[in-house]
Amino acid sequence: MSETLNALLTGFGVALTPINLLWGFVGVTLGTAVGVLPGVGPALTVAMLLPLTVKLDPTGALIMFAGIYYGAMYGGSTTTILLNTPGESASIATALEGNKMAKRGRAGPALATAAIGSFVAGTLATLLLTLLAPIIVEFALKFGPTEYFALMVFAFVTVAAVLGASTVRGLTMLFLGLLLGLVGIDEQTGQMRFAFGVPELLDGIDVVVLAVGLFAVGEALYVAAYQSRIREEVTPMSGSLMMSREDWRRSWPAWLRATGIGFPFGTIPAGGAEIPTFLSYALEKKLSKHPEEFGNGAIEGVAGPEAANNASSAGVLVPLLTLGIPTSATAAILLAAFQNYGIQPGPLLFQTQGALVWGLIASLYVGNVLLLVLNLPLIGLWVQVLKIPRPLLYAGILVFATLGAYSLHQSVVDLVTLYVFGLLGFMMRRWGFPVAPAVIGLILGPLAESQFRRALAISQGDPSVFFTHPISATLLAITAALVLVPWLVRVVREWRARAAA
Amino acid sequence: MSAQRTRAELVISLGVLMLGGFATYVAYQLPEAGGYARIGPNVIPKVVAGSLILLGIWLLAEYFSGGWRSPVPEDPAERGEHAFERRAFVWVSAGLAAQMLLIQQAGFVIAGTALFVLVARGFGSTRLLRDAAIGLALTLLVFLFFVKFLNVGLPPGWLRPLLGGAGL
Repeated sequence: MSETLNALLTGFGVALTPINLLWGFVGVTLGTAVGVLPGVGPALTVAMLLPLTVKLDPTGALIMFAGIYYGAMYGGSTTTILLNTPGESASIATALEGNKMAKRGRAGPALATAAIGSFVAGTLATLLLTLLAPIIVEFALKFGPTEYFALMVFAFVTVAAVLGASTVRGLTMLFLGLLLGLVGIDEQTGQMRFAFGVPELLDGIDVVVLAVGLFAVGEALYVAAYQSRIREEVTPMSGSLMMSREDWRRSWPAWLRATGIGFPFGTIPAGGAEIPTFLSYALEKKLSKHPEEFGNGAIEGVAGPEAANNASSAGVLVPLLTLGIPTSATAAILLAAFQNYGIQPGPLLFQTQGALVWGLIASLYVGNVLLLVLNLPLIGLWVQVLKIPRPLLYAGILVFATLGAYSLHQSVVDLVTLYVFGLLGFMMRRWGFPVAPAVIGLILGPLAESQFRRALAISQGDPSVFFTHPISATLLAITAALVLVPWLVRVVREWRARAAA
Repeated sequence: MSAQRTRAELVISLGVLMLGGFATYVAYQLPEAGGYARIGPNVIPKVVAGSLILLGIWLLAEYFSGGWRSPVPEDPAERGEHAFERRAFVWVSAGLAAQMLLIQQAGFVIAGTALFVLVARGFGSTRLLRDAAIGLALTLLVFLFFVKFLNVGLPPGWLRPLLGGAGL
């Protein structure tokens, strides 16, 4: 306990140096902006900035990226409340009530409860992260390659198969990501794989090109094709930002409950913030003394989901930092940022790079404070950002997207690959294939393969180790159950329906 | 029940199957040699490629049994969108193509401005001059910031005389 406190104090020493404060400020400002802007998310933003990491010091760059990650969650609520178009998927639940409040002239209190709720939940969840991380690290230090491989399989399958509309489409994207991850030179043997003698492919498919292609180019093509002729109206700012006594009384229990829901969901591979925000929404609706207001602008329906999505984004950092397992697309790209510096997140990180990792955690507390200031008094600024015309916004996004891809190797090949991934992203969105499993597969796949081969090297080629080590066996059993049980239930149900007909 | 099957579902299912088949073929060409590790560089590729074949079959099975489960609605109105706007798609693609063709010769600023103008056109903007001015200003700022401040090389192209020694 006191060890953790000491480590955290050291972390604040790192995070509060002027240069790191500056990076944190740049990060949260950029994060709020991309959260506000429709069509740009934290995953895309960090991916576009990855080529810059060569020029920056790791601590500063990672603090900036974490700021973008937290900031996007705050900014997203502004768009949702004033535009009724969720700025990012985790804001969908807020859209149900927030925009209704704005239309009834209560935009101010809606924005306030979202921002203050995000601050309360973000800070409490960061505190939980601080307390939980050392415990998991302690436990994870005993993990060998066998356990890690099982853990990665578990993460792959939950992210790809359990979440989302379709198991088969999720798995298809996962294996596509894994296949792309195989391209290039095999680290252990120097064997060329799936490169077909193309020199640009020898280094592998860069995550920047894949993520930016899927998120930016794919998104731009899709929105141009299916949404560009839709007029969108920004609901004007209305109502005071000061919440009434009644608003406070109805908001704070929702914030706390949502923290309790969001954080645990973030820590397990449950694909980010969507599920906890909807759960929080449903819970608030059920517990509310004013259920009739739900659907017409109930403040609990904004307070809960907004707090839940911030709590879950802190939760996502637990497996990322302590185990090196990303459970969302943004987390996968943060992992890639670490890898760019030759740093592998995991239990050893807390020992070898204590100052960096605790500095990063401390920066999250600082970031939450900065974000509260940025998102309440300065809300008018973000409302202006929201008014950028769509044509200019997407044109700008593509300038930065192509810049990110081109600056990797100064090569037109990367621009062509970017467009190909853009077409793929368009198709995925149109026919309902999720993006996160592909990105996670590309980044985590090579690590999983090397753990697999190390595990078998240790066991002298005996594959039964995965089933005889208790932790690994348990994880693999849960994984199998997660896929097979829903499938069996469906098959039986369809079979019964047919028999009855 | 599930919605009607579409031709796109068939094409994509077959595409996944073919990708899996091709990857399997490539994986079987890889050498066995595992050295001390015992597990060679061909094992995981075979697993991944084989899984893609199985997933292709699974998608096909869903297609032939009445269409993919929980599909994205075919009717754009149901998705809150308008019908496929081909011109918009083509303008955006043209912007990206123009940038690929121009960036080495004409340089980052000119290629980026062309991209900016064409994409804005795709999103329905008709104010060509305004778009060109904003695109030029944006790409010029980005160029100077990257080259002068971050020391990242970007091609100055035809504007080399104007941008002076700023480029490579």
